[in-house]
Amino acid sequence: TAMAPRKKITAKIKKTLPVTGPQAPTLSELMRWYCLNTNTHGCRRIVVSRGRLRRFIWILLTLSAVGLILWQCAELLMNYYSASVSVTVQFQKLPFPAVTICNINPYKYSAMKDYLSELDKETKNALETFYGFSEGKSKVRRSVGDMNSTGSEFFQQIPLLKFEDFSRTVTDLHSGQKRKIEGKVFHKDSSIVNSGDSNDIIGFQLCDANNSSECALYTFSSGVNAIQEWYKLHYMNIMAQIPLETKEKLSYSADDLILTCFFDGLSCDKRHFTRFHHPLHGNCYTFNSGANGTVLSTSTGGSEYGLHVVLYIDEADYNPFLVTSTGAKIIVHDQNEYPFIEDIGTEIETAAATSIGMHFTRSRKLSKPYSDCTETGADIPVENLYNKSYSLQICLHSCFQRAMVDSCGCAQYAQPLPAGAEYCNYKKNPNWMYCYYRLHEKFVKEQLGCQQICKDACSFKEWALTTSIAQWPSTVSEDWMLRVLSWDKGQKMNKKLNKTDLANLMVFYKDLNERFISENPANTLVILLSNFGGQLGLWMSCSVVCVIEIVEVFFIDSLSIVMRRRWQKAKKWWDDRKRKQGRKASQESELERQGHENPVCLDEDLPTFNTALRLPLPQESPLPRTPPPNYSTLRLENSSAFTEQLPDTLDVGQH
Amino acid sequence: VLQDGSAKSENAPEGEKMRECKQGAEQQQKEDEREGLIEFYGSYQELFQFFCSNTTIHGAIRLVCSKKNKMKTAFWSVLFFLTFSLMYWQFGILYREYFSYPVNLNLNLNSDRLAFPAVTLCTLNPYRYSAIRKKLDELDQITHQTLLDLYDYNMSLARSDWSTLSTRKRSSRSLLHHVQRHPLRRQKRDNLVSLPENSPSVDKNDWKIGFVLCSENNDDCFHQAYSSGVDAVREWYSFHYINILAQIPDAKALDESDFENFIYSCRFNEATCDKANYTHFHHPLYGNCYTFNDNSSSLWTSSLPGINNGLSLVVRTEQHDFIPLLSTVTGARVMVHDQNEPAFMDDGGFNVRPGIETSISMRKEMTVRLGGSYSNCTEDGSDVPVQNLYSSRYTEQVCIRSCFQLNMVERCGCAYYFYPLPAGATYCNYMKHIAWGYCYYKLLVEFKADVLGCFHKCRKPCKMTEYQLSAGYSRWPSAVSEDWVFYMLSQQNKYNITSKRNGVAKVNIFFEEWNYKTNGESPAFTVVTLLSQLGNQWSLWFGSSVLSVMELAELILDFIAITFILAFRWLRSHRTHSPPGPHPSSQDNTAFQDEASGLSTPHRFTVEAVVTTLPSYNSLEPCGPSRDSEKGHE
Repeated sequence: TAMAPRKKITAKIKKTLPVTGPQAPTLSELMRWYCLNTNTHGCRRIVVSRGRLRRFIWILLTLSAVGLILWQCAELLMNYYSASVSVTVQFQKLPFPAVTICNINPYKYSAMKDYLSELDKETKNALETFYGFSEGKSKVRRSVGDMNSTGSEFFQQIPLLKFEDFSRTVTDLHSGQKRKIEGKVFHKDSSIVNSGDSNDIIGFQLCDANNSSECALYTFSSGVNAIQEWYKLHYMNIMAQIPLETKEKLSYSADDLILTCFFDGLSCDKRHFTRFHHPLHGNCYTFNSGANGTVLSTSTGGSEYGLHVVLYIDEADYNPFLVTSTGAKIIVHDQNEYPFIEDIGTEIETAAATSIGMHFTRSRKLSKPYSDCTETGADIPVENLYNKSYSLQICLHSCFQRAMVDSCGCAQYAQPLPAGAEYCNYKKNPNWMYCYYRLHEKFVKEQLGCQQICKDACSFKEWALTTSIAQWPSTVSEDWMLRVLSWDKGQKMNKKLNKTDLANLMVFYKDLNERFISENPANTLVILLSNFGGQLGLWMSCSVVCVIEIVEVFFIDSLSIVMRRRWQKAKKWWDDRKRKQGRKASQESELERQGHENPVCLDEDLPTFNTALRLPLPQESPLPRTPPPNYSTLRLENSSAFTEQLPDTLDVGQH
Repeated sequence: VLQDGSAKSENAPEGEKMRECKQGAEQQQKEDEREGLIEFYGSYQELFQFFCSNTTIHGAIRLVCSKKNKMKTAFWSVLFFLTFSLMYWQFGILYREYFSYPVNLNLNLNSDRLAFPAVTLCTLNPYRYSAIRKKLDELDQITHQTLLDLYDYNMSLARSDWSTLSTRKRSSRSLLHHVQRHPLRRQKRDNLVSLPENSPSVDKNDWKIGFVLCSENNDDCFHQAYSSGVDAVREWYSFHYINILAQIPDAKALDESDFENFIYSCRFNEATCDKANYTHFHHPLYGNCYTFNDNSSSLWTSSLPGINNGLSLVVRTEQHDFIPLLSTVTGARVMVHDQNEPAFMDDGGFNVRPGIETSISMRKEMTVRLGGSYSNCTEDGSDVPVQNLYSSRYTEQVCIRSCFQLNMVERCGCAYYFYPLPAGATYCNYMKHIAWGYCYYKLLVEFKADVLGCFHKCRKPCKMTEYQLSAGYSRWPSAVSEDWVFYMLSQQNKYNITSKRNGVAKVNIFFEEWNYKTNGESPAFTVVTLLSQLGNQWSLWFGSSVLSVMELAELILDFIAITFILAFRWLRSHRTHSPPGPHPSSQDNTAFQDEASGLSTPHRFTVEAVVTTLPSYNSLEPCGPSRDSEKGHE
């Protein structure tokens, strides 16, 4: 029937592909067999050597070799993810970086008069009240009168305060009244300068609009800083209300800023510059921004072949309170990098020629698992608010802006707007300033988690700058140069240029070496494997095959031996129980059967060469009767060699 | 579990096992018990037979063990020595590579929060301290006279000095006497044949100017010459100035801090800095110096890179009450250095111009070298044979200066004023040490030519932190804001506007970026890789391992032991029997074994012997066919 062919097939398979168990019946036999037959060095000696000490030494040697292999291989694995650095210096035609130039003063003061007149009046008033400073007596008097009549509510909200004798008594600038204030005092230790004189401690107070008892107090050691900081605070409020188009008009145009331009020995003009509006620095102009798809490059190093511009810095039109220094700021950056002028811009002095030599370095790091950096910033959960490629700085600023919008409801003025948000001004968000200062404090203390989220970029370009300054124009050339430049500019304005209004800037490659620092994996898989092979070979002359052998003998075979013994025990226990239940059966016959069948010897499957040689002698056997070998045992042995060694199957076959 | 030791322990739970099977184990156990601590072979032949049948060295088997065929032996020995030499050639290459200690350069970009470095600011204005005021005035007087004599220049001196001059001249005659010992001289080159010059490079014009320094008993003199009179006068003046300073026994007398009149405003990270954040020291040439952020317990950290988050200072650069012959520059000097590193202002300073806002951006760079055999650097300076006189961490500059000072004390008997005092020494001044100038300038030449070995002895520290600075300048204050800024400064800081823009300067120091580079080194060829390479070579040429070498070692040890035993046996038998004793060979086994049992060395059964002597059809019968079947399956 159906069963018969299947049985036939299984029998055939068993015959042609005999499934044998472990090489030895017991663990010790297995070990002996392994040691005699393995190709791994050391093990054979344990078995073959004579003498207990000798044997022990060989055991010790083999074990220590195994230990050494494991240790060294672990070391190799641990050092696998190490990188080596290669530095390549190339001489080639280098792409010229983008150079962004800003006037330090963001907007023309004359054009800003309409927006800032009130604030300036208040500032001048503060200067007079606290320090007795006045430019023209009558003018200030009048402005004080004006202010009293108009009375700006915003300035009342955050007035400048004067502190007396470290007490909480302050004099309000606006009302002139003395009052006690409460709140946490920031920057308490402001006694660095003229500590004995209490006159100069000046500051302002920021309060939570919803909860007026929550206040933060800011004090400054120097009045110059206090006035500037206070001015900036209000200035940002005012600027936040002005739309971008108006602001661009209020700031300098390319013609205003750039008087002459030379690049690579050829003349250039404002078409080579791209306007870029920076919230704190007004209109900035980027040379070689790559906006029109082409990036200029230099084929020769040296100051003659770089960018050479003369800038017009209209010092008279500066905002006296917002900025106190004169000059321009420049930054050298990659075309798709955002210029963080306010942070890392280099300042250019007026009435001087500033030469900036550049050295170009390109670096590239290996990302995970070698180091924790990001290739594109796509894997960082911070939205890039800037329209430029990722950098750590961009990430930190974006992260802060996002936190600002989330907790204060509006965006900080100095950073770009996230979608759907608008800039803070205290018409709409009366509370924003307190919120901002609190948030900034948290940010500084790394409580916002921005520093943890943001990672380095893996590849970056770097222009190392060397600045040198010379007096410019020289006394003898001053006259004619100023006259010519005035005439150039004269079409629009009727004013003779002063040399302190001009700055000469040269940006050039010192040499055309491009230093490329890149990390490469120090180890490849091939090297790792060959090192593994070396270690295995050195200590034990072992190979992958011997590793497989070890797995076979020590895990599979040993396990099967142990399992089988367990099974035998369980089976014996089961048999004993059965026997106890059925005690009626005669003891003699049982004994007879036991002696003839030899159940435990039956599981002694497939004796190997060694076991065969070492099979015990029956002479000293405590068993009183060893029956001569009979037909049944022989048959059983033979059959057991080809069947599964499990005794239960044997039993089945027997019955 | 692979040792036979465990086989014994395993026998215990096998109690229920079949008797016959157990017997086998018992017999084996007995055999083990019969086995001695160490068993030796009866003869060389036996030894080699054992070795040949069990060794794992590939070539060796063929060489030693195939002695039947001479042709084959010759072939194998050639092959053996060929591979042997090839392997050792490769080993040599590997060892040479390893002992050249190659390193890999590692470049790490870390972006942790950076601790702000210490910033030292000096006034560039050597101060006229009240303790030395009298003597300085007198020195000025002498200088005035000298300049008048040499250059016909009438130097203007402060009025107060003139009025009391005559009385002081008498009271401190000693200074004049000492100054006259080292007068500033200008001579025609031709006339100067007698005196050797200390600066051989000066060869500019017919005239030369300098001063003469002589040894204590005036028998050896040289002319310290300068090419320019400006240098000569300055050097001469500062030489005497040092002498005056060194006469003040207590350094505390010079500790006159004038912080409020120098730093007008200080901000860090948009907050006002507090008073506890600076320490003060006095530099003889750079005047009062203030170090910010020197306190290692509470270090400043910037929250962001950029100009707003750095240190911003307004300093006064106006110089009054200064010593015109010592400092010829005006402004302030800034230096950025690590905490617990001394500020060597002349090594790495940055001058700040008056009337200018100087924005200094920093980039931090760390270099970590591998010490030990990899490069000649020192971890903490404890292994450098120069005592560290500074109380700071070891740096190369600290070491070089300490080295010079120690040499100075040893050679001249007194210490140079600019460097710290070693224990038990005093500063040089010509009241006590008449010829120290002679000694010092001689030593300086030797020091610069590295005869003293200071540059040789002082090694670079393994860990170095550098700050790369670059500066931008803008005018400060601007024309429109200068009115109110100066007014406020005058109100607040009692700053009286005399020279407007040139009186003050602004300095900003900030981190340009948060990332800092770490240039590290790691060994390119470690012990692990060396061993791996050796193992690779060994496996390739020999297919043997360390354990094979152990086998070889065992063979040699056995060989020696057997030689000794046989020799001993031969000697004994020689003594008891007739002189030509039986030759020890494999046939002699029984005799040897008798002796051996006497030496409590149990005699040895080979496995084959057991099998052959104890055949039993009972055991053979069940196992025989199974063995055959096994072979067949394999």
